[in-house]
Amino acid sequence: MDPNLTELCQLFDRFKAAFTRHDYETCSNLLTQLKVMLTGFKSLPPLFENTKHAVQELTIARDIYEHAVVLSVKIEDQDAFERDFFQLKPYYTDACGRLPHSPQEYPILGLNLLRLLVQNRIAEFHTELELLSSSALENPCIKHAVELEQSFMEGAYNRVLSARQSVPHETYVYFMDLLAKTVRDEIAGCSEKAYDSLSINDATQLLLFSSDKELHEYIKEEHPEWEVQNGRLIFQQAKEAATCKEIPSLQLINQTLSYARELERIV
Amino acid sequence: MATAATMVSSAGGLLAMLNEPNSLLKHHALTNLNNFVDFFWPEISTSVPIIESLYEDEEFDQRQLAALLVSKVFYYLGELNDSLSYALGAGPLFDVSEDSDYVHTLLAKALDEYASLRTKAAESNTDAVEVDPRLEAIVERMLEKCIEDGRYQQAIGMAIECRRLDKLEEAIIRSDNVHVTLSYCMHISHSFVYRREYRREVFHLLVKVHQKQPSPDYLSICQCLMFLDEPQGVATIFENLLRSGKDDALLAFQIAFDLVGNEQQAFLLNVINRLPNPKAKTPEPAEEVPIEGGSAPTDLASQDSPMTDGPQMSAENTTEDPKEATYAERLTKLKGVLSGETSIQLTLQFLYSHNKSDLLILKTIKQSVEMRNSVCHSATIHANAIMHAGTTVDTFLRENLDWLSRATNWAKFSATAGLGVIHKGHLQQGRSLMAPYLPQGGGGGGGSPYSEGGALYALGLIHANHGEGIKQFLRDSLRNTNVEVIQHGACLGLGLAALGTADDDIFDEIKNVLYTDSAVAGEAAGIAMGLLMVGTATEKAGEMLAYAHETQHEKIIRGLALGIALTVYGREEEADTLIEQMTRDQDPILRYGGMYALALAYRGTANNKAIRQLLHFAVSDVNDDVRRTAVLALGFVLYSEPDQTPRIVSLLSESYNPHVRYGAALAVGISCAGTGLSEAISLLEPLTSDVVDFVRQGALIAMAMVMVQTNEASDSRVGTFRRQLEKIILDKHEDTMSKMGAILASGILDAGGRNVTIQLLSKTKHDRVTAIVGLAVFSQFWYWYPLIYFVSLAFSPTAFIGLNYDLKVPSFEFVSHAKPSLFEYPKPTTVATNISAAKLPTAVLSTSVRAKARATKKEAEKANAEKSSGVEPSAVASASSGKGKSTDKEGDSMQVESPTEKKVEPEASFEILVNPARVVPAQEKFIKFLEDSRYVPVRSAPSGFVLLRDLRPDEPEVLSLTEAPTSNASNAAGSATGTQPSSASAMSVDEEPQPPQPFEYTS
Repeated sequence: MDPNLTELCQLFDRFKAAFTRHDYETCSNLLTQLKVMLTGFKSLPPLFENTKHAVQELTIARDIYEHAVVLSVKIEDQDAFERDFFQLKPYYTDACGRLPHSPQEYPILGLNLLRLLVQNRIAEFHTELELLSSSALENPCIKHAVELEQSFMEGAYNRVLSARQSVPHETYVYFMDLLAKTVRDEIAGCSEKAYDSLSINDATQLLLFSSDKELHEYIKEEHPEWEVQNGRLIFQQAKEAATCKEIPSLQLINQTLSYARELERIV
Repeated sequence: MATAATMVSSAGGLLAMLNEPNSLLKHHALTNLNNFVDFFWPEISTSVPIIESLYEDEEFDQRQLAALLVSKVFYYLGELNDSLSYALGAGPLFDVSEDSDYVHTLLAKALDEYASLRTKAAESNTDAVEVDPRLEAIVERMLEKCIEDGRYQQAIGMAIECRRLDKLEEAIIRSDNVHVTLSYCMHISHSFVYRREYRREVFHLLVKVHQKQPSPDYLSICQCLMFLDEPQGVATIFENLLRSGKDDALLAFQIAFDLVGNEQQAFLLNVINRLPNPKAKTPEPAEEVPIEGGSAPTDLASQDSPMTDGPQMSAENTTEDPKEATYAERLTKLKGVLSGETSIQLTLQFLYSHNKSDLLILKTIKQSVEMRNSVCHSATIHANAIMHAGTTVDTFLRENLDWLSRATNWAKFSATAGLGVIHKGHLQQGRSLMAPYLPQGGGGGGGSPYSEGGALYALGLIHANHGEGIKQFLRDSLRNTNVEVIQHGACLGLGLAALGTADDDIFDEIKNVLYTDSAVAGEAAGIAMGLLMVGTATEKAGEMLAYAHETQHEKIIRGLALGIALTVYGREEEADTLIEQMTRDQDPILRYGGMYALALAYRGTANNKAIRQLLHFAVSDVNDDVRRTAVLALGFVLYSEPDQTPRIVSLLSESYNPHVRYGAALAVGISCAGTGLSEAISLLEPLTSDVVDFVRQGALIAMAMVMVQTNEASDSRVGTFRRQLEKIILDKHEDTMSKMGAILASGILDAGGRNVTIQLLSKTKHDRVTAIVGLAVFSQFWYWYPLIYFVSLAFSPTAFIGLNYDLKVPSFEFVSHAKPSLFEYPKPTTVATNISAAKLPTAVLSTSVRAKARATKKEAEKANAEKSSGVEPSAVASASSGKGKSTDKEGDSMQVESPTEKKVEPEASFEILVNPARVVPAQEKFIKFLEDSRYVPVRSAPSGFVLLRDLRPDEPEVLSLTEAPTSNASNAAGSATGTQPSSASAMSVDEEPQPPQPFEYTS
């Protein structure tokens, strides 16, 4: 066996050990080393050279990146998630003909969809969705994300929040928490536009909080400009409608007239 | 591993890797992205900011790679500027020799960028514009590569464009054939280097390189030096050539003829002044040689002294050295050539001996024109003058003295001045020819001021651009008169004679006339000042402009406007300030002058900026005169590329505004003059039947200018046009304006006895100052008919004149490889075209008489003389007997030419021409020299003056073209002065053998 590959496998084993120990710091360090080592293999994307151990190497590399994605969820690092996911993706899309299907593929794709939903990147969400086969859509992990998106779009926020209980994979919990916050922000934004003020009770209900306390904390953190007076929540955002722009009619008339004059003079 | 290599479908993974904190991963990603950028640039383009930030990260060690990647992405996005700046950042990673679209495009961009930066730096005259050293390095790498690969022309082009004269020199010197490269270089710097200043620098360099060569091409060097206005250099070359062998002396003469062809009077005078005094025989050294009259300033003489040292030394050593004698003799000849006298005299002889003008046309015109219509009457006189320009043949005038005497006032002025056109170039006898009309000193003159003024103008025309001999006389005449008509004539004459000499004294005298604020004299003074200062870009233009603002007379303003325009002739961008000032003026007449300034400053450069400006004025100015002139001016700017003009003005020629149409017609006429260009004719054809009379006039004149010397065999439309002219002239109901146009057009069509064409470029492709100035002033005839005569300045004889060492014309044969009929003279009009039934028999008679005359010469001659003397006034009687003698000469020459003319057998595919021969411009490419001929041309030019080297000097030479038009003074236009006693004797000497008055036989 190729010494490089052996070394890689050993390092990966250490990584997996640390991973099961939940020693995420060691994991991150090892992961960086692993990635650097991976750049040395010609068989990996984007080169895809046909070397002797190509399948083996591809499989390990895919495994490493899958772990990397899960790790990023564990350490709650969305940027790392995105990076690792994109580096993983060629293994799913371009190498699928040469590698056996990975059991982790659909959960990770589902996770990615969820991430896009959380970050409110609906366009990219749908792009990703279009790339999936119809059989993949049947997968519970994917289906979960798709249903969430539908509820989100419909405004059935309660269904979104209740879906937390039925996650298909443990890694999903992190994103579901984030999603609740996204939903709340959305509601807050709408209410701000819709109402001048609300009673505390209504507001608590509206924002899907279980107690007034949570509401107050939320206000303090996210919307310090809101005021609470006499048991009412007052939205103080500037409501004066932006005056619609005036049409520069005089200028336009002048211009048109001068064109007409010029036209007369031309040839 | 049987599966084919898989392609990656997205660059997303690699892009994500760019965000990794580890720099090794970034490097990996960049390297791979750089390889795949051709496929994934759309994806990468969204991540460009990330890569840019990598480039800007000082600590990142792969910055150049990042820059290269960004550059490629920008290239694909079409953002070449950004692409270039990042490519520069990529440093050595940007590979100049790589053969890819990316590299090619960016190199082109880099060159453009560099060239524009260098140009900007040069134009602002500061070093403030910092050129990126990396950019410079790339361009230098490119140039180096071109030179190494042997693509010298590319290298030269780039070096010129980028203003890298050092590289240019290197490219020329390292090229395989330095002479060819040099001439190539000269050619492109003429046509593609738009800025005058820079062109001068290039020429300086070319001269330098030329001189380093073991066998320099003196012809080219002298052309360059002329452009650079360095008479000293030319004089030195002449001196060296004259001192060596006979062949070199021939070369010197050839160079001199070529220089004369460019018509830079002031320059030529300077060269003459710098040549040593020919009187080398006199042993005493001529220290302070007052060389050319009193006009040579003393500092010139002192400059001369180092040069004259040579001859002086040797002259002292051996007083009677035969070498010195030959040298002196050659020097005298050379000076003769340089002064223009030799070429003018030869031209005169040629035009006289080959004159083929058709008097019948004139006669038809004369008879169809109403006597009372003075416009057409004087147009006929103009047409006659143009037809016979330079031929010294004034038969028509002499035959029609009565008719002529109807010209009064300004028409008389024109009639007298017309003699100047006819005798153009008759330098020796010009003064005596005009003597009867000139103002008599001491107040004895009974002549009218009109004919006196006309005579002065005529003198100017005779001596145009060679006025050394006549200047003083004209100055005296100007000083001695207070009559504004005479002042008018004297000013024009002086301006013509002293064209471009920038003589301050003359300028002041003309200025005095201007300040009298008389409209008639002031107008001429304005033009004359311009003529005097042609192309000097003098400070005095400001003075003239100030006066133009001050005066009330439109005529003066117009004269001054044109004068100011003339001063900036050929100065290109140097004139921009003045042009700006004039084109922004409130007064439309000055704006009109501004158009001329644009036209003349950028003459023949086809400069885009000038064209754009003119087109803008042509469509946007409120004044019709300005618009007309703006369009017309296009003709001047574009004459070096005549095929462009019809395309550019084609839209304007369909304008609703008749003035614009008129301008378009003349623009085509000017720029395509003498070319017979088919597109030009097609454009003009509809305009000749325009609804507005003056447009027809312009179109007819322009058409004649285009078709001059084109005969029916080469373009059938010429025949149609001739018939159209005749129809217009004969039509009683035609408007006067277009009738006048038709008359003038017939004159121009057969100009100079059918032996001249209108040429704005000399043989060596330089601009002919006189011709351009002539046409510019000619186009003023809209306001002032006498200015029509200026067109004669643009005429240039279409002749091959071979000269031997003695500057004589030996008999020498060469071949024109084309059907003779293509280029022969148009057939003389015969009875068939002559509609008037009354004249039918007479015309037949005249030819039959001539035929008989050939058979039995003497009897017929006598009869002829008797008959004519019976009818004509006694004054002519002696003249016609004089003619009798000449007719047999004519008969001889007719017989010589008869084989070519009266050919019935299938036409030959070639024709043997005998020196001197008429060679029209279109024919030039068919001219071949015979191999076994006795004479070999020094420079194988198909036309013009060519020096011939005699291979058999021992054999006796046979000379042709020896007879010259001797003193044939006449006062044919003598209507003014009536019967002068001298006229009879003067005419008896005249040897002009025109058809002897056929029309009297009917009576």
